[in-house]
Amino acid sequence: MFRFFSRTWEGYKEYIILVLLLIISLITLSLNQKPQVKKVRAIAFGTFASATSIISDIINTAKVKSENDRLRQTNAELMLQVNKLREHGILNEELKGLVGLKDTFNYPLIPATIVSKSLTKSQSTITINVGESSGIKPGMPVINDHGLIGIVNSVSEDYSIARTLKNIDLKLTVKDERSRVDGIMKWNGEDLIIVNVSKTYDVEPGDRIITSDLSSIVPVPIPIGVVIELSKVETGIFNEVKLKPFVDFVRVENVFVMEIVQSKQKNDLELNFYNRD
Amino acid sequence: MISNLIFTTGIEMKSQLIFPFLLFIPLLILQTTVIPLFAFYNAIPDLILILLVFYAINYGQLYGTVLGFVYGFLFDLITGSLLGSAMLSKTMSGFIAGYFSNENKRDIYLKSYMFSIIVLLCSIVDSIVYSFFSSADLQRNFLLLFFEQGFLPGLYTAVISMLVFIIYPARRLT
Repeated sequence: MFRFFSRTWEGYKEYIILVLLLIISLITLSLNQKPQVKKVRAIAFGTFASATSIISDIINTAKVKSENDRLRQTNAELMLQVNKLREHGILNEELKGLVGLKDTFNYPLIPATIVSKSLTKSQSTITINVGESSGIKPGMPVINDHGLIGIVNSVSEDYSIARTLKNIDLKLTVKDERSRVDGIMKWNGEDLIIVNVSKTYDVEPGDRIITSDLSSIVPVPIPIGVVIELSKVETGIFNEVKLKPFVDFVRVENVFVMEIVQSKQKNDLELNFYNRD
Repeated sequence: MISNLIFTTGIEMKSQLIFPFLLFIPLLILQTTVIPLFAFYNAIPDLILILLVFYAINYGQLYGTVLGFVYGFLFDLITGSLLGSAMLSKTMSGFIAGYFSNENKRDIYLKSYMFSIIVLLCSIVDSIVYSFFSSADLQRNFLLLFFEQGFLPGLYTAVISMLVFIIYPARRLT
């Protein structure tokens, strides 16, 4: 019996050991979730990791410079991308507002983009990329979803220049949306004001100001701004009403030109910059 | 005479028991830190396997099988992989490498491209068995699995193993 085992062992010891070790390995595979095994592994792994961390640190130090360069480049690329997306986001918001505005208006609107701005203290103008060929005529109001921006002043074949509300040459008939009080609005070089408002008129800070029906240029009510202050004039019977326009003239980019032809009859009666020109 | 025998046995024991483990630790550190930087299509050479094949050819099949088992156990334990997976694969690799431990042909195997071919064979078996037990995706095509997880790392390991038979003869000849 012993000789049989001895002979078998001598002849097949490699295979016996192999099978034995494979069986042990397979059993070990099933022991992976045992807490004791996990603990032993954690100790072994932790010990070895402290050794490898030194090597890793050396490698990482060598890699830092190239990685730094790469990250810097990625950073620059991402910055450009973010800027582009932000630009698209702003444009999208603006266009969404304009689309909404176009749907609510019964007047024909001609979409345009501002190609240049001349925002001086007294003579602010904008140049838009629509002109005579698009049916633009002087006197047409330029608006966006926030309100009135200005009035077209001169027209070429493909471009037009409009005076903004912040132009001392533009005067408009406006009214208080709440109290229906009318007045003449102009830019005094510092503020947008309604002049000659009687002290007895009901105008309060916070009131919304819109274009008046009396206006021959903009006969439809378009928001202009909000009353922020009543400047008490010591002498006389009139007040000055200070307004804050709804439109941000610095940021505005996309606009609509309202295809409204001024009423000759009204125009003769009203004092505005067309009569002055 | 007796002292000579003790001396010879001492040297033999040192090279059979101590050196394989002394070499194992730095190679494992290299394997887990530097070697991944040279990954080629996610395949990395297995330095531990090269060492295992080398010792299995030198000291026989039984030795190779046991050494493979111990290497696998340590590898699993230290690297945090599924305990038993490298044990299985390295045991089988050591066993296969041991087939080439013929006393008459040992030097031929260690000093020629044959070493790389043996490494390739063992490495393919090792990679397939290891990936089967540690991260096998049975839904995938077997041929693709063989190529991606068996042949490619095996070939890479075999190419690196050429360093052994380039360096080994010079050492022996001197």
